[in-house]
Amino acid sequence: MAVRMSNSKTTYRIALAGNPNCGKTTLFNALTGTRQHVGNYAGVTVERKTGTFRAGGLEVTAVDLPGVYSLSSSSPEEKVAFQELMDSPVDLIVNVCDAANLQRNLYLTTQLAELGIPYILVLNMFDDAERNGFAFDIPKLESFFGTVVVRTVGTTERGVAELTETIGKVLDGRLRLRPPCFRYNPLVDEAIGAVAEQVASAPGASELGFPARYFAIKLIEGDQATCALPALRSVAAGLGPLRDRLAARTGMSADTLMADTRYGMIAGACREVISISASSRRQLSDRLDKVMTSPVFGLPIFLGIMFAVFAFTFVCGEPLCQLVEMVFGGLGLVVSRVWPETCLPWLRELVIGGVIPGVGGVLTFLPNILLLFLAIAFLEGTGYMNRAAFVMDGFMHRFGLHGKSFIPMLLGFGCTVPAIMATRTIESRRDRLTTILILPLVSCGARFPIYALFIPAFFAARYRALVLWVIYVIGLAFALLFARLLKSTLFRGEEEVFVMELPPYRMPTAKGIAIDLGERAVMYLHKAGTVILAASVILFLVNSYPKTAGLPEEGLARLRELERTVASRPDDQEARRRLEELRAAQAVAQSRATLGGRIGGALSRALVFAGFENRRGEPDWKASSAIVGAFAAKELFVSQLTILYAQDRPRYVEAMRHVEGEDDDGWMRAALADNYTPLSGFCMMLFCLIAMPCIGTVVVVWRETGSLRLTVAQVAGLTLTAYVTATVVYQLGKLLSLGTA
Amino acid sequence: MEKPKLSSSLEDYLEAIAELVESEGHAHTKDIAARLHFSMSSVTNALQNLAARGLIEYLPNAPVVLTPEGAERAAVIRNRHLAMRVFFTNVLRLDEDEANDTACRMEHIVSEKVMARFVFLAEAITNRSDCASLRAHLEQMMPRLCPSDEVALSPLSELPEGEQAIVVKVSDNLRGKKRFADLGLVPGTLVKMEGHAPFGNLLRVKVMFSSLSLRSEDAANILVRLAEA
Repeated sequence: MAVRMSNSKTTYRIALAGNPNCGKTTLFNALTGTRQHVGNYAGVTVERKTGTFRAGGLEVTAVDLPGVYSLSSSSPEEKVAFQELMDSPVDLIVNVCDAANLQRNLYLTTQLAELGIPYILVLNMFDDAERNGFAFDIPKLESFFGTVVVRTVGTTERGVAELTETIGKVLDGRLRLRPPCFRYNPLVDEAIGAVAEQVASAPGASELGFPARYFAIKLIEGDQATCALPALRSVAAGLGPLRDRLAARTGMSADTLMADTRYGMIAGACREVISISASSRRQLSDRLDKVMTSPVFGLPIFLGIMFAVFAFTFVCGEPLCQLVEMVFGGLGLVVSRVWPETCLPWLRELVIGGVIPGVGGVLTFLPNILLLFLAIAFLEGTGYMNRAAFVMDGFMHRFGLHGKSFIPMLLGFGCTVPAIMATRTIESRRDRLTTILILPLVSCGARFPIYALFIPAFFAARYRALVLWVIYVIGLAFALLFARLLKSTLFRGEEEVFVMELPPYRMPTAKGIAIDLGERAVMYLHKAGTVILAASVILFLVNSYPKTAGLPEEGLARLRELERTVASRPDDQEARRRLEELRAAQAVAQSRATLGGRIGGALSRALVFAGFENRRGEPDWKASSAIVGAFAAKELFVSQLTILYAQDRPRYVEAMRHVEGEDDDGWMRAALADNYTPLSGFCMMLFCLIAMPCIGTVVVVWRETGSLRLTVAQVAGLTLTAYVTATVVYQLGKLLSLGTA
Repeated sequence: MEKPKLSSSLEDYLEAIAELVESEGHAHTKDIAARLHFSMSSVTNALQNLAARGLIEYLPNAPVVLTPEGAERAAVIRNRHLAMRVFFTNVLRLDEDEANDTACRMEHIVSEKVMARFVFLAEAITNRSDCASLRAHLEQMMPRLCPSDEVALSPLSELPEGEQAIVVKVSDNLRGKKRFADLGLVPGTLVKMEGHAPFGNLLRVKVMFSSLSLRSEDAANILVRLAEA
């Protein structure tokens, strides 16, 4: 007896294959639980998920192939799925189908069957199909497709145990499956047979791993990836006449002939296997769509949902963010008390000033990111995301963007880093790159602290909302303008084919969302978090070194004398005040001498035209060096500025004491209002909005685009735009005496 | 001696002159212009050209007369046309208008050699007794191929909301044809128009049991016929 699997083998590889939205991932989660690993396929941004589980005493590694409609090479997912099966042979394919849409799902099945690998046909979401009045003749289906059928419900894990058992049975040879050789029609079968013979006799073809028949079909279809295989190139080159002959005789070009033939055969099979008793096919979903995507209600519903997502993210996230800040603030205090100043002072300073705030800075974003992705994962799980793309496409398309670009842009309001990662859903590379390049212009949450500090400092309460709105709108306007520009220059070319499935509405599972969320958190902490941490530490060093005395010799002598005076006479208020003043002056001189201060000083000479100018009309090195800080993370602009104005703090705290309704940042606002004109403040915000994205964004852009040149071009382009825009606004404003009071 | 090639429009002139002479007895410039829907000036130009080649005698204020050589050329052209028309009507079973039209377009691009062989084939199929079963087969099958002109086809993009239709033909102009085919948009599939996006040009179409959204430019390349409810 020929047993395919040798009994000595202890670990097996299986692949889960199926259409998008067939519940494959839910089933994968049910099979493997948390024993999963998420990675990326080299060169493309398609996720590669693997997991392990035990089936009948066997150790099984499962690969969750990306959801595909076909094994061609018309999308990155399809290329990847086929490559995976080619490169690392699997012992078994688990073909997951949406039982309520079997006809379409079986199209992929016919292709998988032709790979000659045993496969199990899973009718997933079986409960849904039954509710919709479908009845299946399972034995007939099994014999027709040469497989064993397992009925499952991924969300409730019904049938999963049976599936595991069946997998075990097939792998250890107790159940033998023989994928069938489908008969299509005489004309096509004859052509396939003739080409298959050529393939079989081609040198090197026997090492390709799949039956010659499979490649014969792909060659007839003119599949690019198959025709490019070195072993088949010569066969492919000689197929022109055959393809022409087929086209002439069927009145259909050879590339779609097979699709037509397969669907024809499946339609015949389905007539025998499926009976539909009720006509209530997924009526609820259809009825929902009538409203959700309707020309009248579609947009308001979409905007409402998006508002809810944001309210959820930020309202629920706020206390958590504060908690994180509190914990790390407290941690810094504790460490500074426990760690004596004399013991390794440089390391102490690094830990308290650089590492702890750095880690805190990374983690403060985590609650928002998690909540945002919770909402996104929920919407994605329900199937609404594709509707959102459908509703928004008309608008986005005008700017050369894809309907799906809207989702990353929306995420961009939260944080640019996950937004850039979310562009993976856009299939077209040009659309995707365009979206990535403009995303930093969508004002992210980290830029909000800047506006929150600046706007109340310079604008009366009734204008504040308006100014904030203007800032966001300017960002969006630039984003859309650049998208348009990029699509008509750098990414010009024929528009990509757009076709998108709107899967039936479903309730996502908590498990699926939890796993998704875990992955996002790890991804953020690993990919962005580490870089932000490193950058904050480097920034701390840049802003602290080189260390200088800050005062000339006599100044230092004066400082020591005052310290002695205060120590001996604690109630001498005059001496205490003068000591504080001297220390503040020392701090200013010290920070000006650091690398950051020097860079800021140099920058300020150029930035003075763009509004980085104090009320005395001098180039402002403080705000300029805060820009250097903003490169690590946009919100660091605020903390950097706070440090640089720290020496004036007592003065402004005093001034603000009698002003009611001001929070802890009150003194900082007073300092800003005292040092800059409203016009300056506005231009600074404008510059922060447009100028180079934070280091986290830059790194993610680099990783996602895979192009250093594009990344550098983006940074340079944005910074230049920011400079030009702020300069134009500032100079015009000055000319018209707007906001210069 | 190789005869100098004539452009297809000059061939049309020769044909028209020969037909006029046959039906009216003479061919006046203005009749030629009327027959071919050309202006008088371009007709004059063409006639001068033909006269220069020695195919007609062309004198002002006199009917055009074919030279012996011109008459021979015209006969060849008319013969070709006739052979094609017969082939299209008898063998391919096209209707009169379509046969005539297609013959008009094809006759100019086919060489003498191909034409001779083509006429021979057509006559063999029509006349030879050992081709009887072939004739019967063609007679039966030809009308069934592409019967598209019997039912009114409309592009999928113009299907009214809520209506069902069956895909009949997917034009080769459709970009990414294979992707649409993979999703089930092949001839014979039942589709239903579900709606339009709020703005822009996206359509929502039910194909089998799933909703697909596609651009109406693309949907315009998919021809459907209305399905009876």
